[in-house]
Amino acid sequence: MVNNFAEQVINSRERLKDDIMPDKWQTEAEGGCGVVGFACSVPVRGRHIFEPSIQMHNRGNGKGGGIAAVGFDPKHFGISKETLDDCYLLQIALLDPTAKGEVEKDCILPFMDVTHSAMIPTIDDYQEIGLEVKPPDVCQYFVRIKEDVLTQFIKENNLAGMDLRKAEDEFIYQNTFKLNKQFYASLDEKGEKRAFVLSHGRNMMILKVVGYAEQAVQYYQMDDFKAHVWIAHQRYPTRGRLWHPGGAHPFIGLNEALVHNGDFANYHSVSEYLYQRNIQPLFLTDTEVSVLVFDLLNRTYGYPLEYIVEALAPTTELDFDQLPAEKQRIYRHIQELHVHGSPDGPWLFIIARNDAENKKLQLIGITDTAMLRPQVFALQEGEIQIGIIGSEKQAIDAILNSLSKEDKRFHLIADKYWNARGGSHTDGGAFIFTLDENGGEQKKQKKLTCTDKFGRVIKTTENQTHPDLSVIIQTTQQSQSIKERFAACSSMELFEYLKDNLKDWDYNTFRWVCHEMVSMAAGNDQDKTKTLEILTLLNDQRYDTGTKKRSGILEILKLTLHDVFESTKDLSHSDGVYKLIDFKKRNTLRAPRDNEQVLIIDAHDFTPEGEDCDSHLVVAAYNLGWKRFICYGYLGQRFCGCGLGLNTQGVRIDIYDSSGDYIASGIDGLEIFIHGNAQDQLGQIMKSGKLVIYGDAGQTFMYGAKGGNVYVLGNIAGRPMINAVGRPRVVINGTCLDFLAESFMAGDPLNGGGFVILNGIEFDEIRGKFVEQPSPYPGSNLFSLASGGAIYVRDPHKKMVKGQLNGGEFVRLTPEDWQVMLPYLQENERLFGISIEELLVVDDVRKEPEEVYRKVTVAKKKVMVEVDGED
Amino acid sequence: MSNNIVESVPGVALAPSRYRNQISKYIVYRDKTCINCGKCVEVCTVGVHQQAGTSSFSRPEEHKCVGISCNACVDSCPQGALSVIINPMMEMLGDYRWTNDLILSTWYQAETGKVPTNGLEYSVGNSGGGFDRLKIKFPENPSIKLKNEEISTAIPLNRRNDSAHRVEIGLPVYGGGMSFGSVGLSTIIGKARAAKAWNTFTCTGEGGYHTTLYPYDDHVITQVATGLFGVREDTIKRVKIVEFKYAQGAKPGLGGHLLGDKNTPEVAVMREALPGSALFSPFPFHSVYSVEDHKKHVDWIKAMNPKALVSVKVSTPTDVDMVAIGSYYAEAHIIHIDGSYGGTGAAPNIAKKNIAMPIEYAIPKVHNFLKAEGVRDKITLIASGGIRTAQDAAKAIALGADGVVIGTAEMVALECVRCANCESGRGCPRGIATTDKELTHHFDSDWSSQRLTNLLSSWHTQLVDILKKLGMRSIQELVGRHDCLEYEGVKIG
Repeated sequence: MVNNFAEQVINSRERLKDDIMPDKWQTEAEGGCGVVGFACSVPVRGRHIFEPSIQMHNRGNGKGGGIAAVGFDPKHFGISKETLDDCYLLQIALLDPTAKGEVEKDCILPFMDVTHSAMIPTIDDYQEIGLEVKPPDVCQYFVRIKEDVLTQFIKENNLAGMDLRKAEDEFIYQNTFKLNKQFYASLDEKGEKRAFVLSHGRNMMILKVVGYAEQAVQYYQMDDFKAHVWIAHQRYPTRGRLWHPGGAHPFIGLNEALVHNGDFANYHSVSEYLYQRNIQPLFLTDTEVSVLVFDLLNRTYGYPLEYIVEALAPTTELDFDQLPAEKQRIYRHIQELHVHGSPDGPWLFIIARNDAENKKLQLIGITDTAMLRPQVFALQEGEIQIGIIGSEKQAIDAILNSLSKEDKRFHLIADKYWNARGGSHTDGGAFIFTLDENGGEQKKQKKLTCTDKFGRVIKTTENQTHPDLSVIIQTTQQSQSIKERFAACSSMELFEYLKDNLKDWDYNTFRWVCHEMVSMAAGNDQDKTKTLEILTLLNDQRYDTGTKKRSGILEILKLTLHDVFESTKDLSHSDGVYKLIDFKKRNTLRAPRDNEQVLIIDAHDFTPEGEDCDSHLVVAAYNLGWKRFICYGYLGQRFCGCGLGLNTQGVRIDIYDSSGDYIASGIDGLEIFIHGNAQDQLGQIMKSGKLVIYGDAGQTFMYGAKGGNVYVLGNIAGRPMINAVGRPRVVINGTCLDFLAESFMAGDPLNGGGFVILNGIEFDEIRGKFVEQPSPYPGSNLFSLASGGAIYVRDPHKKMVKGQLNGGEFVRLTPEDWQVMLPYLQENERLFGISIEELLVVDDVRKEPEEVYRKVTVAKKKVMVEVDGED
Repeated sequence: MSNNIVESVPGVALAPSRYRNQISKYIVYRDKTCINCGKCVEVCTVGVHQQAGTSSFSRPEEHKCVGISCNACVDSCPQGALSVIINPMMEMLGDYRWTNDLILSTWYQAETGKVPTNGLEYSVGNSGGGFDRLKIKFPENPSIKLKNEEISTAIPLNRRNDSAHRVEIGLPVYGGGMSFGSVGLSTIIGKARAAKAWNTFTCTGEGGYHTTLYPYDDHVITQVATGLFGVREDTIKRVKIVEFKYAQGAKPGLGGHLLGDKNTPEVAVMREALPGSALFSPFPFHSVYSVEDHKKHVDWIKAMNPKALVSVKVSTPTDVDMVAIGSYYAEAHIIHIDGSYGGTGAAPNIAKKNIAMPIEYAIPKVHNFLKAEGVRDKITLIASGGIRTAQDAAKAIALGADGVVIGTAEMVALECVRCANCESGRGCPRGIATTDKELTHHFDSDWSSQRLTNLLSSWHTQLVDILKKLGMRSIQELVGRHDCLEYEGVKIG
């Protein structure tokens, strides 16, 4: 619908702003942050934001945290459903408690009918939960604008004919601006700020504190408060002393709350763009201007979400060329009009909103075109549907862990994890989780749908179920045969047997088998080793799971592996091969004795960094003579494998669960196996050794690496291998978001140098077979400015084009190239079961390597421009 | 332990110019009418004239000459055989910031280890601003009278008092990062040896850690810059200080860049890249786009080397104070701000002259901000980017820095003439900023380390003298003493 009132609305705001544009827009410096959000088909308690929030402490500094919640139960407030749906929920933070009367007198009572009002209850002592600054008192008002006031407003501003609700929305918005200006922005820094509006949308609220996000939940006693959509933000303001949370996220438009990870280079420009449209930012953070731009495009210009996303994160380069002509035409106009309002720099927005007009609740994640901030999306669809967006995968796992503790309909592992490609033609860099009224099977549930920017639906595999882990495991007829097989077979043989039969089993049978294996592992160390090998193979490999979700199988395996790990003796014993150590017993670490070989580290309670990080324990244990490690129970602890020093050949670390950033950064010789998805900045400056990832990897993978043999089963996010030199050899079976091997300098691959094999495949979720991705490399930048090394890309359909290269060129694969690749593809086959023969089959026809793979190498001509040298 | 680490002045020894004809401010002519009477030898107080035997003179050591204002030899020569003129080369040597006097006086200090006494201006340049207009205000009578040996120039670098190394340096000065590739090995080793002599530090730059530096591990800073060239876990573990180079004042917003010609086979081996290809470092760190990424980056260094001090080198944008406080909260030990005057000729002009804030503005801005935030005594503030002289160092400290880093001054001590062609071809005609085989053996590291040790020795003497006149026992008392400075107004006309 074209909004004919855009101009009038903008005109009506003219009198609000200062006459003279501030000559310099000041912003408070802050960096990236920790952000997380989820939308769920059933309302969930505020306490579930705790675990991810606490894990994100190292992405904030405890000087600003906030949460937003959307979609409530009216009973909580003691109001009717109509009141909740129709009234604006005005939440006012009273920095000066005595301001309440004035605020009401000047900004509420003359204009609004207040259906319900209350002070949000708080705990008695803010210091008890670790807060240093007392959060503001918050007053809630459920309001509608008085009819005569609205009529007058419409008349004064030439808005006659405008939808009454939209006019009312605008009144609320302008009134909030006036309130904030009068009680907040016009007052100086020194502590006279008195009140500001936290939120004013319908069926949504925001709370923030000078502290961590979860402290907002605790302080305002929201632990048991239920909502469908939650977002949380840990802020990292660099200014030291704050006495109020005015600058903390989230910020509001009208019915939406936005949190933001990153910062803009063009805050000034975006502020000017807004000012030209009569909008004046008051809180001086780039988050505020982000949501003001969103609201402008949404409510004033009436853009559909797709166009809003395009205005914020424009489609560029090759991606733009690949859009349909009609879209190109529209996008070009959007870009021309709104380029100055488009935030430039690294950012990720998470937005929670009540699309009241369409009776929908939404959680939206938008990433910038250059994909400079880490971001992960996840979806779980079973009895309950939940969509999650986080700055790191560990936050997603933390939410699921917290939820499944309370309600077994939630499961530990999401059905799907993925990254968005910012400003792309593939997904547009944005995903939207929409909750529709009463869509679920039960009336109590809403229906959750996940779509990308273009409206394409993202689904998990249908006709597969999750296990119900609250059901007690029953004995099955498999029981005897599995014991016999266990005794008779090698671990590989037993894995093959399980893999082939698992598709026909129900969850109970599989759980029983796992249960049996745990008891067998308790027998002797040989059986324990065998059990761990089999469980790990089941965890790592892809196979047909029948009607069972792969995430369900993984959940059972995770719990089974934990059982096996936890049954291991601690270091007070000296018999056996395996020893277990955890945070509490970390001081019992000693050199291995007798037969001891494997140190199992329960990383759960270690700190994510610093002296109490498990990575320090690994170093200490290595220095005492330990060489084999199994680390599990991770909640995003970082740096595993760092600090062992030179020549660590013969050391092996196996990592399970939600591993953290910077793993294997700097290793020289040792081997690390990550049995699942990995996070950001892995393998930086890696010198030699082996890194195997049975899943996806995050941002800036192997930045500045010098060597190492690396195998990745899945996809890698943005900017892998930048500035890598020497001789790294990397097999990526999936693809990358963009900027693979920029400034690659890894010599001549035929002469000892480095290379990347990019297979561009993914796994069919049901059958566990690999299929080609739509393009082996969808990004617009590959091998840019590279001066050495090569990329071998599996591209039998020649989907890649020269325009994706900047300084490189496609050349024909030679037999010498194939000989260099072969050992790595063989190891890849051994590790992941991706057979070379199958890689060479294209559309059912066996092809020659040079027909399947293309080589990207340094272009002959000189591409470097002459510029000045280095300091 | 006394906090005066340097108990005696380390190994000063003469390290004369490596050129037969050293560039001098004055030219002394002796014509053939000389009768070898030796009168000039008697009257010259600085030793320009020396008889080579009974019948001849050696070439006058012109660089010692104090000039026309003296003219004692000319006036006393019975034959009128002598004349002294200003060397016409002086018109070409130096620039407004690095005047020919500053270059020649730095050479003098590097040669002798002493404060120049031959009339050369060794403290300020002629830029008309910055440190050249700032003067140190000395009281007529210092409040306390101190002996030289009671005065300490040492500073601690770890003020967090955490479990990392407690490092103190003998002088509030250390050497800036210069990569192997941008300079040659004789320069690098010379810097390291001088750093060891004065119990201070030198920095690898981003070209890797040459094995010949291993004996100096405790005096080397490993730089982790955006290209990560030559940075390995091993090079991070072996040192006491690790420096992140986010940006440099000479070219903020640009990463390092080594032209193909300077990427010789030896350089390429160190960086594990291909010889002859241009090497770019990105800007910024691809793994650091925000302050919490930065914290993670610092934590990573500490995971590899828990005892290391972490220094964060940044340029001086207008929000440098925010960057500094961010570094403090990321648990860095040193914030190193690099102002706009620095850099060799290798930085692009457009960047070199236009972007970063001059260091004399940035220092008080950061110092005051950290003070207001209540954390100034928990972090070490190091300034660089145009510190040419001991006086500059003292002024930077009075403005609020704890210490300074020098780069160009070191190059000049090695007889750099500031021709600003560091990047051209295989580099430096004076054999400093080059790894070209034919150029690098112009000097060895014995010579370079002696020259640099001598320079630091002269600076030490000057700093002690300044503190003595101010009545201060320690250089640490001078930090942030804006009252000890005055700005000379602009002269009209």
